Amino acid sequence: MTTVNNFLTCKATNYYGKAPKDNVLAREIDKKPTPRVEKIRERYFDAKSSASMQFPYWYTRRWNELEGEVAMVRRAEALKSGFEHLSPAIFPGELLVMQKAEYLRGSYPMPWLSESFFLAKEDEIYKEALEAGKVSSDEVTTMGQGGGNVTKSAGNIVSIAGKFGMRKEEIPALIATSKRWHNKSVDDVGHKYEQMVPGYDTKEEIMRAVICMFDSGYTLPQGREVMNYYYPLQYGINGIIDICKSKLSDSAGFPEMDRIYFFKAVETTLYGIQTWIKNYAKEAHLLADLEKEEKQKAEYLEIAERLEWISENSPRDFRDALQLVWTFHVAVLNEDAISGLSPGRLGQVLYPYWKKDMDEGKIDEKQTLELLEAMRMKFTEIDVFASMGVVGGVLSGNTFNNLSIAGLDKDGNNAANDLEMLIMESAMTCDTPQPTLTMLYDEVTPEEFLLKGIETTKIGTGYPAWVNNRVAMEFVMQNFKKEGMDLEEARAWAIGGCLETSAGSWMPLEFNGETHYIPGGSAPATSVGVHFISVPKILEAVLFDGLDRRTGIRVYPAHGKKLETYEEVWDTFKEYFSLTVEVLTLTNNIQHDLWGKISPSIVNSMLKPDCLETGKDISRKGSRYNRTFNVEVSGGVNLANSLASLKKNVYEEKNFTLDTLRDAIDDNFGFFTAQETGSYSLIEQVKKDKSDKWLKIHSQCIDAPKYGNDDKFVDDIFRDWQIWFSEMCEGYKSLYDEPLYPCQISVSTHAPMGAVTLATPDGRLSGTTFSDGSVSAYPGTDKNGPYALFNSATCYNHSLSQNSQLNMKIHPSVVKGRDGSKKFLEMIRAYLRKGAFHAQFNIVDSRMLKEAQEEPDNYRGLMVRVAGFTQYWVELGKQIQDEVIARTEYEEI
Amino acid sequence: MRHYDCKYYLAIDAFKGICKRDKSDILADDASCEYFEKAEKCIHCAHFKLVSDEMGTCMDKHEAYPQMNANTCSDFTWN
Repeated sequence: MTTVNNFLTCKATNYYGKAPKDNVLAREIDKKPTPRVEKIRERYFDAKSSASMQFPYWYTRRWNELEGEVAMVRRAEALKSGFEHLSPAIFPGELLVMQKAEYLRGSYPMPWLSESFFLAKEDEIYKEALEAGKVSSDEVTTMGQGGGNVTKSAGNIVSIAGKFGMRKEEIPALIATSKRWHNKSVDDVGHKYEQMVPGYDTKEEIMRAVICMFDSGYTLPQGREVMNYYYPLQYGINGIIDICKSKLSDSAGFPEMDRIYFFKAVETTLYGIQTWIKNYAKEAHLLADLEKEEKQKAEYLEIAERLEWISENSPRDFRDALQLVWTFHVAVLNEDAISGLSPGRLGQVLYPYWKKDMDEGKIDEKQTLELLEAMRMKFTEIDVFASMGVVGGVLSGNTFNNLSIAGLDKDGNNAANDLEMLIMESAMTCDTPQPTLTMLYDEVTPEEFLLKGIETTKIGTGYPAWVNNRVAMEFVMQNFKKEGMDLEEARAWAIGGCLETSAGSWMPLEFNGETHYIPGGSAPATSVGVHFISVPKILEAVLFDGLDRRTGIRVYPAHGKKLETYEEVWDTFKEYFSLTVEVLTLTNNIQHDLWGKISPSIVNSMLKPDCLETGKDISRKGSRYNRTFNVEVSGGVNLANSLASLKKNVYEEKNFTLDTLRDAIDDNFGFFTAQETGSYSLIEQVKKDKSDKWLKIHSQCIDAPKYGNDDKFVDDIFRDWQIWFSEMCEGYKSLYDEPLYPCQISVSTHAPMGAVTLATPDGRLSGTTFSDGSVSAYPGTDKNGPYALFNSATCYNHSLSQNSQLNMKIHPSVVKGRDGSKKFLEMIRAYLRKGAFHAQFNIVDSRMLKEAQEEPDNYRGLMVRVAGFTQYWVELGKQIQDEVIARTEYEEI
Repeated sequence: MRHYDCKYYLAIDAFKGICKRDKSDILADDASCEYFEKAEKCIHCAHFKLVSDEMGTCMDKHEAYPQMNANTCSDFTWN
């Protein structure tokens, strides 16, 4: 067998510029958290993702007791019971307490959303569920083999989804509880009604072929949104209960009766949350009684007192406020399977409390930094329990708690503050994946603040991501115009999830005798709807007359066209793509409608303006802004490159026929597939024999114009795709009767979706990943430097879409020192000034990543930026590891 | 008895935890020490009846499992 470097000038790694000759260069900045937080972090490194049954048991038990009750109230009672019965766990040294379940990285299944996954694994009765298309993504996903993942069962621990450990004693309860939800879960009921959608069979085949990655209605129905902490901060829990009681008495018996069920549900759930907090306070007292060391004893008692206070009242100071917002963050996470629940502009929300404490000498910067480090650990400990296809294939185990910094205040002035400077510092001293940071870059953001952001980016963890505040405001203004979004409100936006531009609002927080307008999310989950369409795979279906060539499944109706012109290919692609969006929109609308009926959000609805005013939950358009369903795609750059190759090689220069190209694709250009070699690297693939049968054609495909080089031929195709995609989304309506809109993030889908896609006309080989993000060049094909890439990336208007995503890998030597920082900032600024929305960076020597792949135990703390998120290297699947290594590394900027 | 069954056991994950008394790292399934005290679990509750090795009932009407923590259950009564 012959190993061939595909696309490359340098073995093993792609470089723009010269390959580094010296030893592997470590990252420039290496800071440490306080000893206390370092201990907490070491404990985290040693902890395994673990699931338990306590919450789902009590939730299900109470639900079953209330047969016949109004669904909203029944759900609230079930949540209340779940919260009340969660065992508290406070770990030594913690300053901020409470988590999802009793384990450090605890989570639990939510069979009311979907139970077939658990049953299919454990019970013969439900094995037929495995035949459903929805599990196909599980089969082509690789889960990270290290870190906290429980990849194999051992002793009394059962591995679930290759990620979570559950004690053997709880498995019968998992099965018994799941059976209670059979034919009642959102998944099962949705499946029944989805079949009424015309074209449902096509939808199933689309899922089975992994043209679409997953259904959002019962996998991750909430998330990719920004939290709003205003109500608990302003009123305290007792205050919100009083509001509910008052609204109840004003609503009962009057028209729009659903309001009373909502207010009753909020009140009920809050009682459960109060008990949950008080149980933690009791645990803190117990630990204080056992504690011999006076300082620790005092800390436990302080924690107990704080918890008792915030279980009823609004916060008195920064520590209270931080604990309260964290508690509600976890409370929302506990009501649904959620990824991407972002704290938003938390530094601006908490600033009034912090400023008062600083002015009064109640806290100093050192203490603040340690608290923020402790907060980072709590966010990092969050796990989300879902199937392997979702957790591994889409999320890479990440939970996307994105904290936004800078931007503008309500009046259009710079919003960056000193607490946010400390948030960045804590992200350096305690470099963990969560919360990831996003810099809302604006021309008015102070230079020193931006340079602090650069310093943070240079630690190599990929945060902050850099986004263009004005482009986002333009998107928000356009997208929510019909719902009354104005310039002032547009300034309150923030990133939800990895990169979802989300609507916000300014809320009048009264504290310390003043009114502070704090930003917070005011829309429900985004990135629900049509979740991840593999556009190269649709092009494959076009070339093979509607078939999934890998499995032989007929996905689309045969088009029967000879594809004699480039326009015919493009038009057929649009037809298949449109059919995909149409059927997935309808089926997802049904799923989300049923989610709102069976498992409505109560805690998150209560937090989101204006649900508490209107009495409508977020699934009934209670939020201020509701145009939140989108169409997500993966592999757009491979699509453009492939179309360019087809246009040039087949139709313009007639270098080979389409039939010949199909044969070459069928034979993977004479190479083994990635699955056959076990390597998903885009760099090193293996030829099957020494035959050069497809060598010339493969070279012509590779040599065709490639996106990322400021080449008009391919950039025009890329722009045409972008404009058409943006416009076509408007033709489909969400459950909320609002048009869909485009979202362009790959997260991790470019790996499993690439895994099932044959070789593509751009020369990419079968099974290897697609290009990451949405405007990143395909690894090794961007040969003209960063500014050429920037020109390609900005060939269209980025505000047409919820996001664009550019990942770049830069060698640490290029941005070294203060001068390197300034050069780096100028490069980012140049890109954003061209109208770009987003860029994020891995500052790393690629050879270090190769070493880490070979010796993972030596790199437990190493993190990389994937596509919108930062993750521990050892917790990434091999597909993504290979893809990150293969990305072009810039040795010059 | 195992650490897992002790009221002083603080689980870090499904495999291991910390002793609340002395903060030592312990494995859930290792044998407990002389200070062992039974944790409040369904198996020790007067309302719980074993139906099989793995499952039982609570108050004769709800399915329940023996090893569930019952430290937050207001109806827990030592058997």
